[in-house]
Amino acid sequence: MSPLLTISDLHVSYKAVPAVAGANLELFPGELRVILGSNGAGKSTIIKSILGLVKPSRGLILFEGEHELTALAPHQIHKLGISWVPEGRQLWGTLTVYDNLRMGGFIEADDAKISQRIGEMLERFPRLAERRNQVAGSLSGGEQQMVALARALVSGPKLILMDEPSLGLAPIVIRDVFELVKEINASGISILMVEQNVRQALKVAKWAYLLEVGRVVENGPSDEIANNESVREIFLGGRH
Amino acid sequence: MDLFLQQLINGVIIGSTYAVVAIGFALVFTVLRVINFAHPEIFMTGMFAGLLAGSHISDNFFVVLIFGAIGAGAVGLTLERFVLRPLRGRDVLMTLIGTLGVAIMLQNGMAKFMSPDPVAYPKSLQVSLLLSDEIILTSTQAVNFIVSILLLAGVSFYVRKTRYGRATRAIAERPDVAAAFGVDVNRVSQVTVALASVMAGIAAVSVGILYGSAWAFVGLFYGLKAFICMLVAGNRYFEGVILVAMMLGVIEALVTGYVSSNFRDVAAFTILICVLYFRPNGLFGSYDT
Repeated sequence: MSPLLTISDLHVSYKAVPAVAGANLELFPGELRVILGSNGAGKSTIIKSILGLVKPSRGLILFEGEHELTALAPHQIHKLGISWVPEGRQLWGTLTVYDNLRMGGFIEADDAKISQRIGEMLERFPRLAERRNQVAGSLSGGEQQMVALARALVSGPKLILMDEPSLGLAPIVIRDVFELVKEINASGISILMVEQNVRQALKVAKWAYLLEVGRVVENGPSDEIANNESVREIFLGGRH
Repeated sequence: MDLFLQQLINGVIIGSTYAVVAIGFALVFTVLRVINFAHPEIFMTGMFAGLLAGSHISDNFFVVLIFGAIGAGAVGLTLERFVLRPLRGRDVLMTLIGTLGVAIMLQNGMAKFMSPDPVAYPKSLQVSLLLSDEIILTSTQAVNFIVSILLLAGVSFYVRKTRYGRATRAIAERPDVAAAFGVDVNRVSQVTVALASVMAGIAAVSVGILYGSAWAFVGLFYGLKAFICMLVAGNRYFEGVILVAMMLGVIEALVTGYVSSNFRDVAAFTILICVLYFRPNGLFGSYDT
């Protein structure tokens, strides 16, 4: 099977400061892979490079083996079937829940089709159905994360990029969010996730990459990474 | 009482035109993060496009209105393509100077090409008195008000209920996220500038018909007041901009009626300074830039 997403020798700099320095990653159809790393390791920059929101200085990002994403604008990349759950949700706070979901399906011009998909999302997330006419900025953190996940799903993506979906949420909500992530992946959608909640991330992901100062220093099946000495030292609170 | 009612009517009518121009400013600012100093001159260009159509093609009201819209829309689209788009992402001062340069060019070009003095406008509507001898409301005033209200209702519908309107609000709040969800920011910017310009062109024609003249420097008057309205209201809620524009029109009219027309602008700028001192983001708030 050929990879859905291939990142080769990716270099990104913010002015003169390198954020990603030669990262290589792969994601196969239907997989859930996670990128781990401390703050400033370059995880979110990789996500933004895939989305076309930052332009790499060098390297290749191939989607479905044929689309070179670094040459495309963000709206063109989304049309290929790549969606996003941004860090901190980044909902449109002055728009209603319903309008946020409509914007999630912006590329779909057929009103009937988009209404049907939103209907499916509201069935999947019943709490959002109750709050559909409420402005998104007034929701709790957990509800906002549901809107962010639903918004990413409305367009029917092949791949969802998730940037720290557990950030700023209560522990009980985090558990629910990871359950949802697993469910979404089980429905056949590939997921590339960046996460600082290493324990939970390694439970749901099949494969993990460990990023340090913009480079992938370890990668392998999640259970192997979970037992890796340096990962345990850095992220999981030492030996058990 | 008659004077109060008369000034109230006058104020609401001029306020509705301020509102149309101010919404144009606010629309462009929320999407492109640029104060389009050429917007008042697009208004003026629409007024003259209507005048030329009325003089050379037909003085039918709708013909004049359509040509005003087309003229202003064409200038707006040209500005977007050749000034605003190339300067996007550059220092904000560059875009300010760019739009200011276009404004000066349009203003002086029109003064040279047409006339630096007011030019008589085609009589597209019959002027008739609608209320009484004490309180005057002419048919042209009524039409000016109705045109403005229809434009404001139309833009409100567009922003709240249409796909591109939602995208406009999404870009205003989080442009990166909007782009990552499939919104072509260039396309929405183009549509926004075109919409703001067409609205300005239509409003300008109805002002031309109302006062019976077009003037190359008219943009400065309406533009300045509309800009004040946007700053006082903030650009987060378009309804707030409309409310402030109506109130400014009424306050100016009351000051003119009860004090002196010399103090009309003093009132407008006093309101602006007070609001900016106590609420720098405007009365109803602004999007982060």
